[in-house]
Amino acid sequence: MPSELENAMESLIKVFHHYASKEGRSGTLSRRELRELMENELSNFLISQKDPAAVDKIMKDLDTNGDGQVDFEEFVSLVVGLSIACEKCYQTHMKMQKK
Amino acid sequence: MESAIKTVVTTFLSSTRGKENLDGGGFQKLVKKQLGGLMQDTNCSSAIKEMQQGLDANNDGKVSFQEYLTLIGYLASSLSQSKSGSTAEAP
Repeated sequence: MPSELENAMESLIKVFHHYASKEGRSGTLSRRELRELMENELSNFLISQKDPAAVDKIMKDLDTNGDGQVDFEEFVSLVVGLSIACEKCYQTHMKMQKK
Repeated sequence: MESAIKTVVTTFLSSTRGKENLDGGGFQKLVKKQLGGLMQDTNCSSAIKEMQQGLDANNDGKVSFQEYLTLIGYLASSLSQSKSGSTAEAP
């Protein structure tokens, strides 16, 4: 029986491969695939996801090896960035509840 | 996907019990409880301790949220590679 954390990791992997296999090279996200992923999966976290310039900027930031594609390891940095942002948010939230 | 990120964050936060970092005991518990299906040696305290030292980038004896995410990222990458199997490009 997998734990919550293991399930969470599995769903991150599934999400990545679901979008990565749509077109072009499977196993990496093209710009369009990244945009679709952000629109469908992160609509609550990223309000600016409809802004095409924001997608371009995120794509550029993520693509550390400069091949114009986002591979899984580069995708993980997006998850890490979002997690850090969320952690700060949760901590402030929890402190507020205590008061 | 958002709920997956939430789980990753809340798992860490509930293990720290209000503190900012995970101490040795908290990390042991987290690994044993949450990662037993993914990793071997989770019953072996010394193996977990070794892993903790490997993660501890700033050498403060604790596991910060950033250091924990390094572990998650690493596990997710290797899991992803084993899942995509032969379609993955060989390094």
